[in-house]
Amino acid sequence: MTALIIDDEVQIRRLLRMALEAKGAKVHEAETGQMGLQEAAFIRPDVILLDLGLPDMDGLTVLQRLREWSDVPVLILSVREQENVKVAAFESGADDYVTKPFGTAELLARLHAIQRRQKGSDAPECIVGPLRIEFVHHEVTLNGEILKLTPTEYALLKLLACNVGKIVMQKQILKEVWAGQAGDPSHSLRVHVNHLRNKLADSGIEIRNEPGIGYRLAYS
Amino acid sequence: MEEEHRPDPDAILAELQREEVQRKSGKLFIFLGMCPGVGKTYAMLRGGRHKQDEGLRVLVGIVETHGRLETSALIDGMTVLPRQKVEHRGFTLEEFDLDAVLRVRPDLVLVDELAHTNAPGSRHAKRYQDVLELLDAGIDVYTTVNVQHIESQVDIVQQITGVAVHETVPDSILDRAHEIQLIDLGVEDLLERMAEGKVYMGERAVAAAAGFFKEDNLTALREMALRFTAEQVDRDLEDIRRAKRVNSAWKTNARLMLAVSPSPYGESLVRWTRRAATRLNCPWLVVWVEGSSSLDPASQERLSHSLGLARKLGGEVVSVTGYNISEALLQVAQDRNVTQIIVGKPERPCFWRRSLADQLIGGSGNIDVCVVRPTANNERSRSRETEPAAKTTIFNSGYGSALLFTFSITLVCWFLLSLTGYSFVALVYLMGVVLAALKLSRGPVLLMAAASAIAWDFFFIPPEFTFHIEKIEDMFMFGMFFVVAISMGSLTSRLRQRELAERQRQRHTAALLRVTQSAALAAEPAKGFADALRTMDELLQSSTALIVRENDRSLPKAPHPASTFQPSEKEWGVVSWCYVNKQSAGRFTDTLPQSESTWFPLQTATSMMGVLGVYLPHKSTIDFNTRQTIEGFALQLALVLEKEHFIMAVRHAEVISQSEKLQRTLLDSVSHELKTPLAVIQASLEGLGKSNDPYVDEIRTAHRRLQRVVDSLLQMSRLESELLQAQLDWCDLRDVISSAREAAGPPLDDHPIKLNLPSEVPLIRFDHVLLTQALANILHNAAVYTPKGSLIEIGVAFATPKLRISVRDHGPGLPPGEEQKVFGKFYRSAGSPAGGTGLGLAIARGFLRALKGEVYASNHPDGGAEFVVELNTETIP
Repeated sequence: MTALIIDDEVQIRRLLRMALEAKGAKVHEAETGQMGLQEAAFIRPDVILLDLGLPDMDGLTVLQRLREWSDVPVLILSVREQENVKVAAFESGADDYVTKPFGTAELLARLHAIQRRQKGSDAPECIVGPLRIEFVHHEVTLNGEILKLTPTEYALLKLLACNVGKIVMQKQILKEVWAGQAGDPSHSLRVHVNHLRNKLADSGIEIRNEPGIGYRLAYS
Repeated sequence: MEEEHRPDPDAILAELQREEVQRKSGKLFIFLGMCPGVGKTYAMLRGGRHKQDEGLRVLVGIVETHGRLETSALIDGMTVLPRQKVEHRGFTLEEFDLDAVLRVRPDLVLVDELAHTNAPGSRHAKRYQDVLELLDAGIDVYTTVNVQHIESQVDIVQQITGVAVHETVPDSILDRAHEIQLIDLGVEDLLERMAEGKVYMGERAVAAAAGFFKEDNLTALREMALRFTAEQVDRDLEDIRRAKRVNSAWKTNARLMLAVSPSPYGESLVRWTRRAATRLNCPWLVVWVEGSSSLDPASQERLSHSLGLARKLGGEVVSVTGYNISEALLQVAQDRNVTQIIVGKPERPCFWRRSLADQLIGGSGNIDVCVVRPTANNERSRSRETEPAAKTTIFNSGYGSALLFTFSITLVCWFLLSLTGYSFVALVYLMGVVLAALKLSRGPVLLMAAASAIAWDFFFIPPEFTFHIEKIEDMFMFGMFFVVAISMGSLTSRLRQRELAERQRQRHTAALLRVTQSAALAAEPAKGFADALRTMDELLQSSTALIVRENDRSLPKAPHPASTFQPSEKEWGVVSWCYVNKQSAGRFTDTLPQSESTWFPLQTATSMMGVLGVYLPHKSTIDFNTRQTIEGFALQLALVLEKEHFIMAVRHAEVISQSEKLQRTLLDSVSHELKTPLAVIQASLEGLGKSNDPYVDEIRTAHRRLQRVVDSLLQMSRLESELLQAQLDWCDLRDVISSAREAAGPPLDDHPIKLNLPSEVPLIRFDHVLLTQALANILHNAAVYTPKGSLIEIGVAFATPKLRISVRDHGPGLPPGEEQKVFGKFYRSAGSPAGGTGLGLAIARGFLRALKGEVYASNHPDGGAEFVVELNTETIP
């Protein structure tokens, strides 16, 4: 795995390099947004860790420029924890968002999650621990037993499971699952998440809420 | 044809809006009867008792039992409001105490006799206005009324019974009624009850039977009451149909237009039109064409009565100017898509001029013209009222001067007669008449023309000192003189009057323009308003007070400094009534007419900007023109005030956005500077892995503490910036609690947690992030201040719309007496462990208050502290 770290803090870069190299990754560093973009084009990394507060340009701008020509997974690493900043980052094409100070273990887990999604996108099924979703027959099994789901629940679970470990924005869920429906779908979303949680109880699969942003399916 | 089946969206909207208004305000139940004695009060009290048994708080506001035993028996066991005593000219009158009811705020109040006229000095002239205020305050009202008191029915009643009715209620209040219940009784039964003395007691019974309670009268009144109720029911049905969009009964898109003049029949025509409009279920307007001639005070009074009545009955009043009345009317009719024009039938046919009705018919095209025979009702009493205003002495009316002038001319000509001959004298007289017409009004000029003719004949045409005329040419000359004098006088005076009216209009228009210019264009608004008010004062010979609302929509304590008089303590009551009810009040109006000045609302299409007070010491009435002028001023001032308000709001928004930007920059750089080193320390600590080095543990503890402090400070600064905006969204309480537990951090890991959730947890509409943070801070607090391993209980209880979340620990509890102090900033209780900032709970309370919630702390009776969060929130179970 090749990772590119775009951050102006030398200490953060050093620490991230240590953590990533310990996992066997190849690490490149960039100090400014401009240099980051050049490096990204030049070395074609598998994943990018991007700080939002860069000296020469805003991290969001870097992300938008990057998205013009690349869909490499990007993890935002920032001190800003206001949810509107997070939402803006996700809307600009970020794959995940971690606030500083961060736990190294969690950071690595998230990096892993966004890369996995990148690889297996055209598989006929999706497996998360004991959960198995077969796309062709719309069939879901948990520990080998068939799980009865309504069409909405199926669509919701499929979306979350395909992005396991990664935040799916509420806006995206509503667009993909509740497209074109009247009423207040955000209320309906909460209700369906509840149903799914009840059906997945005690399986080790959790649907976690990220306040103001969206949901994440996690398996521990 | 499709058109006819489509429900009119405006009508549906109006229906929905009516429902909206009714939902917020109280409900009105009307017990309608054909005449006294049918048992309205009895039925009302029974209804009230029934509601009381259902558990509502019912108050008997005012009930007249007229000594009827059955009725008074019903009152026992109900709460009766003591009556208010009003002193008036040495008499003590007992009145309904409106303010007491507004203070007590019962669920339902019973108010008898809706058409009652209040004693002078009460807040409102009429009791139905009291009732309207009760409804607006959200109190349900039961009331009674007889059909003869309904404004639109008054002249029919008078025709039938020959009794003039003075106490009336406008029909619009019946439209407000949630339900009208007809109390019906057969005529024979009623007469029987009368005979038994159950209606009126003693002597009054005899008098009543002789006058009003005749069988034919009663039958007619009963029919009226039944028909009126049927019409109302029909309209309710129509409303229901409309709301349900049933495609039927969409026969009319009619619109009626009534042309009024200052004639005594105006009011009767207005009532007729209202009745017709009700039957057709269509809108109606009343048009007054201001012609060239100015009106005398009596006509003006009549006109403003008619227009006022139209407004009260729910019609739209339009005033236009035009020389040709029929053309002006037809123009309005075409502009407003009127389908039917209503005019009064001319009193006497006029041979030399086509009547207005004929002119309208000639030019109406596809508009129907309906000529109605009016009845002059109430006129006797009205004209008596207005007489004092119209009465003037002979001299200042101009008749005296006319005679005096004629006399002087006669005297002068008498001396000149020998020089000039008598035919020349006729020319001198003519000149006199024309000159007089420039000064005097029409009546005196015509008198002068006649007097001159007679004087010329008597003194100058031979033979002198007789009315006899000998020569045939003299006779012709006399006839010609008479016609010329009268027509000259009449023409000249009409010209002059037109000029006067024009000049007055011009003055008003110019003043209005000046008001607008000075208020809108002045560099300093305060000076501009002062100029504007001075202009008004000069024009109306008045004093004015301007009261501008504060930004929070409350009224200020003092008038605007530009005001030219200071309203007294009592007047402020009128001011606030006018402001709240958006209607003019005070002198010359129906509301609080005892006050010194008249108050007009400063209202624009979108908002209420304040109140304008006008003190007119020299006027005994306020005529239509003056009222219109003042209303015009009020509108202009309101528009200017609104503009000022918008400018201020924009400026304020700019400041906010600037400070928001600054705040964000500051927060960003501070967070960056503090959090980056914290991140480095944390990552390094994790890099060290599990080590048993005590130094590393110390660093870890210190790091955690530092991180907590930084978080608290950043949250606090966010809270204090006043930029906190709740982002409402549906959230799951279980999500909130689990995120809060996570956010409360490691200290909570040392405590077992017990969750007491109801079996069904509804979703709540709330700001997820802020609620989570507040709860996290409370949980963190509970974890830090209690011994490790002690239980922490989280409870959720719903009492819609309130949600209570409680966090109870089993620690030492709060220091007694300091339960509420814990929410203070930087509060640290004695003996608390080191490492806290004293900000956590202050932030929790700050966030909750920003969400219109509250948090309380107390010691649980069984030990330990309990924090209770209370929120008002929307839920869907």
